[in-house]
Amino acid sequence: MRKYAVIYRSVLMENLQYAANIAMGFFAYFVFIFIFIRLWEYIYRTPEEVIAGYTKAQMIWYVMMTEMIWFGSNAGAAARQVTMDIRSGNIAYLMNKPYHYTWYILAKYTGEWSIRLPMYAGLAAVIGAWMVGPVPRFRIVTLPAMILCLILGITINAVFKICISLISFWIEDANPFQWLYDKLILVVGTMFPVEIFPAALQPVFKLTPIYTVCYGPAKLIVDFSADKWVEIVLAQALYLAAGCAFMFLVYRKGVRKLYVNGG
Amino acid sequence: MSTAVKNQLRVCVLSIKYNIMKEMINKVTFLTNICFMMLNNASILVQWFVLFRLRKDVGGYTMREILLLWGLTAASFGLSHVLFARVFSLPELIISGKLDSYLVQPKNVLLGVMTSSTNISAVGDLLYGVLLLSLFCSSIGRFFLLVLFTVTGTVIFTAFALLLGSLSFWFVRMEILGRQLTMGIISFATYPDGIFRGVSRFLLYFIIPVGMAVYHPVHIVVRFDAEMLAAVLLYTILIATAAAAVFYRGLRRYSSSSLMEARM
Amino acid sequence: MQAIKVENLSKTFRVKRKEKGMKGSIRAILHPQTEEIRAVERISFEVEEGEMLAFIGPNGAGKSTTIKMLTGILYPDGGKVQVLGIDPTKKRKQLAYRIGTVFGQKEQLWTHLTPYDNFQFFGAIYDIPDGEVQRRIGELAERFELSSFINTPVRNLSLGQRIRCEFAASLIHRPSVLFLDEPTIGLDPVVKESVRSLIRQMNEELHTTVFLTSHDVGDIEKLCSRMIIVNAGKIVLDDSMEHLHRSGSSLENTIMEIYKSEGRTAIS
Repeated sequence: MRKYAVIYRSVLMENLQYAANIAMGFFAYFVFIFIFIRLWEYIYRTPEEVIAGYTKAQMIWYVMMTEMIWFGSNAGAAARQVTMDIRSGNIAYLMNKPYHYTWYILAKYTGEWSIRLPMYAGLAAVIGAWMVGPVPRFRIVTLPAMILCLILGITINAVFKICISLISFWIEDANPFQWLYDKLILVVGTMFPVEIFPAALQPVFKLTPIYTVCYGPAKLIVDFSADKWVEIVLAQALYLAAGCAFMFLVYRKGVRKLYVNGG
Repeated sequence: MSTAVKNQLRVCVLSIKYNIMKEMINKVTFLTNICFMMLNNASILVQWFVLFRLRKDVGGYTMREILLLWGLTAASFGLSHVLFARVFSLPELIISGKLDSYLVQPKNVLLGVMTSSTNISAVGDLLYGVLLLSLFCSSIGRFFLLVLFTVTGTVIFTAFALLLGSLSFWFVRMEILGRQLTMGIISFATYPDGIFRGVSRFLLYFIIPVGMAVYHPVHIVVRFDAEMLAAVLLYTILIATAAAAVFYRGLRRYSSSSLMEARM
Repeated sequence: MQAIKVENLSKTFRVKRKEKGMKGSIRAILHPQTEEIRAVERISFEVEEGEMLAFIGPNGAGKSTTIKMLTGILYPDGGKVQVLGIDPTKKRKQLAYRIGTVFGQKEQLWTHLTPYDNFQFFGAIYDIPDGEVQRRIGELAERFELSSFINTPVRNLSLGQRIRCEFAASLIHRPSVLFLDEPTIGLDPVVKESVRSLIRQMNEELHTTVFLTSHDVGDIEKLCSRMIIVNAGKIVLDDSMEHLHRSGSSLENTIMEIYKSEGRTAIS
């Protein structure tokens, strides 16, 4: 376990130097949030109006949180590296090193978001305080519970994306599948809370990764309740265990295929 | 003079043709990239189905105008990235000194650089845009307007990226900010202008050229307005001229790879 | 007549200076400090038509910067350049029709196309009529022995085959002056020798002026009749090969001594 801590720490140090570069990405985040604030201001006739169970402030904070997860974790980079390592054949060198390749990628990824996520959280807090107002009924005591849920969600997202990248062992281009997954998260999970969709679709969405990756953490931040927390964290634990098991399985099969075919 | 222009065009066309041929070597990747980009764009419509369930109009737009807006944006974005993809990665070429080979050719440097690569997934954007726009081709006049606005949109998007990219001749750090801004345009260009007010509205019309590239065209197609049309055309010419001027001014400061070697 | 005429040519690069560590980074943002590097400092020389000149010097001495100013890639800060009577800063395109360049480390060919298609493309760039392009491709294919792989995509060619194609592409418009920046870098001895004989052949048959930079003493010795050595942006030697040979010691030793005695290089 210690070696993964070292990998984590060195990536952390490396990324600290790029803090200024990460901050350049703030612009894109701001643009998205700005557009959504304007959009919801147009759609809500009064700030007190409730749409799909959300007030205006809750609705905007919801999208700020899901976008923060998206920008602040950058799971795409981890997935891209896996794809590149496999396609370039670099994997042959990496898998012979004395660590498990998927753990190595996850440790690196964690090192990256440890810098990015707090930066985006700070930005979201500033934009929220300036343009939206405080999160309704937010209590500082529940913050650690929310953070745990957030971290679980971010890790599950990376595990799923890495699994998709691992398909590159068999097919030449796994990018279309990444796209599909990203679209699911972005279009269905990021822009709106699940409750806004037609009632018939909602149970279906709750079965997809959306529930554990973005909806769960964001929902808890804008509208915390202990019951929901237990429900979501349990679901996350289940997803994480299943996701990791699948990841190891796919990786083992992929590596075996590499040995047979000689890369 | 006219043979020089003809020869120049021939080189540009050959260059673009070879770029696309290169991407077509792997046909499966080529086709999946295009198809998925089209699906990708279409998936965003989910958002609008949701929003139009809540309200009849958003910022004065109904589904019809949203489709028109998306059509123009996707077609212009697609065309600019199919033909002139290199402009969008210009800072990298400038900083790493990769303009040399265009400078030793007896042809226009800017055009040579611009047409030196393509982006296949942008073909998907272009097709998607054309598909949406074809819904609006109810008359010959409309058809010509839509073609015209696709061209002006392409020129404006490309020129804006060229303008920002050329700043890399002076400031190395501009690279990331420029990329953010060019992507930011696309975000704005896919939402109705009616939701923006005050300062942001001013910015969108005068600083970030979204207003001239897509909002005005949408309004003109919905209800023809000659003055607005003149403004769009004038702006297109202005920004293209300004971008080319900044590029050539910056080219004098081009340091090839000598600076990189100096830093070692 | 002179093919190249250079007077007091200068080029200065400004680089940001940054001190080490976090403190240095912050200071660099608050008070940016720039440092001037004089890559080329008031150099003057002439090259006769049909001459083969070696332009050499240690890394960072200003060779590439000079060659780039002569070909119109870099904009000089001071001085005058005339290549074939044309000022590259003013009439870059006009000059480009009459010069050829081979930069050893940079490829100008489209790698997914065949050499044949590449030559056609370059033919279009230099406005050569189609029939004429065909004739010249045939001629080059014969001279450079390209026939066996002229229809194989460039990415599938060996390094030696590629460099021959690079040369052929640079010659499709029959340039009067050829600029070669380390043309034999990374090649094996056999290919090196064939590249050299190609250059010599062109010079003899077409009376092409050749301006060559190289770290390879063999290139210089076997090709050039004159040598200019630059160091720290200045010319430190300009002499005929014949004269240098007469001095007794080997060319390699002469060069080494000059490099060392001139002390520090401009950029190190």
